[in-house]
Amino acid sequence: MATSFRPFAIFVELIIIVALMYSLFMGMNLGLVDLGLDRKYLKFLKIIAILMSCLILFFLVSHLITFYPRLLTVAKIKG
Amino acid sequence: MDPLSFRFWADQDVYITKIFLPVILGFLALLLGMAALFIASFRREHYHLWHLGKDEDCSGHLATRLKTVFAVAFAHSRIWREPYPGAMHFLILWGVLFIFLGKIVRLFSYPIGLTNPPQHIFLYASFISEIGGILVLIGGGLAIYRRYVLKPSRLDTKPENHLIYVLGFAILLTGYLIKAYRMMAGGVEVPENAFLWAPVCSLLTPFVLVLPSPPLNELLLWHRIFIHTVPASLFLIYLIISRSPLKHMFLSALNVFYRTLKPHGALQPIPNFEEAETFGVSHIGEFTWKQLLDLDACTRCGRCQDHCPAHLTEKPLSPKKVILDLRSYLHEKGKPLIWNQTPKEDEDSCLVGEVISEDTLWACTFCLNCYEQCPVYISAFDKIIDMRRYLVLMETRYPSELREVFRNMERRGNPWGVERNLRADWAKDMGVKTLAEDPDVEFLYYPGCFKGYDDRNKKVAISMVKILNKAGVKFGILGVEEGCCGDPARRIGNEYLYKILVEANIEAFNRYQVKKILTTCPHCFTNLKNEYLQFGGDFEVIHQTDFLNDLIQKKKLKLKGGSPLTVTYHDSCYLGRYNQIYEKPRHILTSIPGLSIKEMERTRSRSFCCGGGGGRMWMEEHIGKRINEMRIEQALKLKPDVIATACPYCLTMLGDGLKAKGADESVKVLDIAELFEKSLD
Repeated sequence: MATSFRPFAIFVELIIIVALMYSLFMGMNLGLVDLGLDRKYLKFLKIIAILMSCLILFFLVSHLITFYPRLLTVAKIKG
Repeated sequence: MDPLSFRFWADQDVYITKIFLPVILGFLALLLGMAALFIASFRREHYHLWHLGKDEDCSGHLATRLKTVFAVAFAHSRIWREPYPGAMHFLILWGVLFIFLGKIVRLFSYPIGLTNPPQHIFLYASFISEIGGILVLIGGGLAIYRRYVLKPSRLDTKPENHLIYVLGFAILLTGYLIKAYRMMAGGVEVPENAFLWAPVCSLLTPFVLVLPSPPLNELLLWHRIFIHTVPASLFLIYLIISRSPLKHMFLSALNVFYRTLKPHGALQPIPNFEEAETFGVSHIGEFTWKQLLDLDACTRCGRCQDHCPAHLTEKPLSPKKVILDLRSYLHEKGKPLIWNQTPKEDEDSCLVGEVISEDTLWACTFCLNCYEQCPVYISAFDKIIDMRRYLVLMETRYPSELREVFRNMERRGNPWGVERNLRADWAKDMGVKTLAEDPDVEFLYYPGCFKGYDDRNKKVAISMVKILNKAGVKFGILGVEEGCCGDPARRIGNEYLYKILVEANIEAFNRYQVKKILTTCPHCFTNLKNEYLQFGGDFEVIHQTDFLNDLIQKKKLKLKGGSPLTVTYHDSCYLGRYNQIYEKPRHILTSIPGLSIKEMERTRSRSFCCGGGGGRMWMEEHIGKRINEMRIEQALKLKPDVIATACPYCLTMLGDGLKAKGADESVKVLDIAELFEKSLD
């Protein structure tokens, strides 16, 4: 069954993936600083992270629009 | 129909053999890797750093230590003191534990043969994980609201805080989505009461979109598992290798385990005093390993700061900042010491002045509120006293007004420098005998310097003597042989002077074979009872509140009613937090007919200092608001007739505060002994 709910579902998926990407790059930056990386490199790392995030996001938007499921089935609850 | 008769939804066998087996194996491998990483990181980031410090014996009392760790970590015995953060932390912790329990059952049921049948183990695992998730969501929501909306000043928000919330919520949400998807796309029937076993996922299922064929759905499920488990594993790795605030779950527990079991607030003597070449701490490696563990265990919760009288009166002291500044310094300077094998710390660098300012050190009143409020038993006061000792004993650098105080204590045995032979003048007309005149007494009454020389406090000593006489107790005083207990000298950092005073007092006590000492001063009480032991002085010490309470309970004296008075009781830090005497003074006051007690907002273990402890009584208060005036403002809100206390320092400081506020005509500050004596029948 086609559903108008799909764009919203894709949006939620994107939010989750963006949150995960943010966490991944932020965690990497903070972890590197804690492991002894000089803070002066953080700005550079941040730029790299933003660029990579944009690329990944672009890919994910295309991927999800193309392949994201279109069916909304009714839960098969035994009655 | 009984839900347990169903196999768990979504084609259980298929998922376990085809999907969960590799996940289990991967997880086991990851677990081993993470354990190795944890050990390596722990040694590198913490263990080696702590061992830059000196030895400290924290062994023994294993059962007590473990009991406290469990009480603090799992029951949150100290965290619940503040209900909002207490509930928040409790929900998050137990939520996470529930999730882990559910996941562990799920992952490891296969290797231990719980898969086929009984399947219902998974229903329970599902249920407990979901409940855990709900608890974390509620607790996390409370935490986010507090940190980003309420923004209490004691919390400092850093990027790692954002990371924890974002990643935590993303992991939770993706976890719920996996199960919701499995329930929708699994191709088997879901039990009719699925809501009971998966309350959140059942609600999500109507919104989950699926693909048209089972193989494609399985592929999508793999996607979902991937975006859940990979970040979850990375989260664990980040937690292990970084200095994330979440590391408190190991470090704080360790700190609680190794906490000092000595009496609260008791300062430690300088080891090998006679042979020592340096005194106190000026370099990070001069702290003990436990003091360095304290630094790493701080969770930055800021409770210490919220209760610090110096911080609240705008002085440059925040116990939290002291700990965090020392921690940063430890990690900055300590690591090169370990890894570069630098022979020793830079001789020119000094903690005092460079990391912790002198004003910060001299602002501390040693009220112990920071230690009392800290959920994980971190003490700032022991670091402060070590740095004060360095300033006083090595650098001779201290507020100029203290020079006279030290000289007076050394020469005359009291901080004011009044002649020693005037010490017992207050007792002349009372018929009080000295032990030299009559050593056959039940106990020694040790009034202390305030009662001996301060006119206001002499009245308290006189009241106490009247009570003792009325109760028919045989007692004596040391008179001119009595010296200062040494508390101001020790808390200021002059351990040398303290040692001289203590040894002289112990010698006098032993001269008369004193076994039992009664004192009216909580500072003397704390020192005689808890700290003289370090110098071989082992006596039974009683504070006046113990004694008076005992008289009431044994009905030795009758109390009569007077005019009705509203009294608010100010807890002395040295009686309350140092010795946990909170209820006895209140019982004494409620036993006096006509008195009604009103409690101040900051009371009992949260009581606000009068500002006189830690040697502050003899120092000028140039910076910020005066602590005693702030305490008086808190008391005056209750419109009391009397502010009662059981400490000569508090009596003096609060009396001064009342005068400064112009309220000394309408409100009186009285010692409990005075109120008791006035009500004697």
